[in-house]
Amino acid sequence: MIQIQNDLDIKKQARSLGVSFWQAPSFLFIVLGLLIIFVMTAVFLASRESISLQQLVVAEFFVVVVILSIGNLLIEMLEKMIAANKSKSEFISIISHQLKTPLTGISWDVELFNSKYKEGLTKKQLEILDNIESSNIAISKMVNDLLDVARIDQNNFFTQKDEIDITEVIQKVVDKNAILSKNNRVKINFLVDDNMPKIIGDKKKTEVVLDNIVSNAVKYNRDGGEVLIRARKNGQEAVITVKDTGMGINEIDQDMIFNKFFRSENASSQDVSGTGLGLYIAKNIIEKSGGKIWFHSEEGKGTKFYFTLPLA
Amino acid sequence: MDRKKILIVEDDSRLRDILKEFFQADEFDVLTASNGEDCIEIMQAEKLDGVLLDIILPKKDGYAVLKEVKADDRTKNVPIILLTNLGGLNDIEKALELGATTYLVKGDYQAQEIVRKVKEVLR
Repeated sequence: MIQIQNDLDIKKQARSLGVSFWQAPSFLFIVLGLLIIFVMTAVFLASRESISLQQLVVAEFFVVVVILSIGNLLIEMLEKMIAANKSKSEFISIISHQLKTPLTGISWDVELFNSKYKEGLTKKQLEILDNIESSNIAISKMVNDLLDVARIDQNNFFTQKDEIDITEVIQKVVDKNAILSKNNRVKINFLVDDNMPKIIGDKKKTEVVLDNIVSNAVKYNRDGGEVLIRARKNGQEAVITVKDTGMGINEIDQDMIFNKFFRSENASSQDVSGTGLGLYIAKNIIEKSGGKIWFHSEEGKGTKFYFTLPLA
Repeated sequence: MDRKKILIVEDDSRLRDILKEFFQADEFDVLTASNGEDCIEIMQAEKLDGVLLDIILPKKDGYAVLKEVKADDRTKNVPIILLTNLGGLNDIEKALELGATTYLVKGDYQAQEIVRKVKEVLR
């Protein structure tokens, strides 16, 4: 199971963040520096005979002690912050994991039902089953996102190296967004280069990346708008683009769009639901797979997302 | 093709039953276990083509089972497919190091996809 990190690990982490105060030479330098300042000012001030040398020694000793204790205090605070952050990530990850077993049960049950026991159901009954399924997909997606973020934060994020047929992935994502795009009256088209080679990446997670981008492109589109997904070969890599005809991302928000929990002004002011995790996760997946992700956006005109992945 | 005989080790009875039904529908002979000790016992007694093994299990967990069966001449050549909801980098690395053939994160797949993946691995 997931282990709660002990104090030692936290200290190690604190050190790796650059606070190797007590072991490293930097500590020596600081003490040495303080001593030199101490002696020089003492000599200087004593030579002017305004204060006695004794008083100076006491005062400067006090200063050194204060500086060292402030340093110590800062390190302790930092250690506590790291510990708090860690237990938060661990909490999310344990909870999400406990949620995943029953969610998997619902998903497989619905699948079993659909494949074997559907005969003779009324239209209304089928509709209810569909609703159960789409609610379950929505919750699972949220749990998976939280789990992914916790793993990214704990440096425990894993991406596989599969050979991917990108057309298959795109088709899957288009199907997944069919209901959403119909409700929003947005048309999704896609175009893949002839003889497109296989791509190296994590199949499931690449699907997540494309789904996050495409569902945004549908949600933040205009009524009657369009989404165009393209995949082409460029040298040793594949470039996948998703272009929408939506409201665009305003310039102030553009720098923060890949940040965790960030939702742009345009997104949150419109009545569109979202957690602000999709693009943060997408960026981590693509970069872990050896690719890059970026975008161009013009307010009022639309946004075009790009990501690359190595070819097989 | 001969029918393949597999062992599904899963402590959640619902997941176990659903998986069993899907694999049986695909012409597999299916044995089941709900904890690590039973898993080892069955593996020693039966000739199996593969094992689907959960990690968080009562009695012995999946890692302990892997260690034990990989050290035993009777069982070391049976392919073991980890099927769990632990999907962190260190979980996967540990399982592969201990000799698991492959690793599937339960919640990421439909049951039918799992059947397909297992077939690929055991072919």
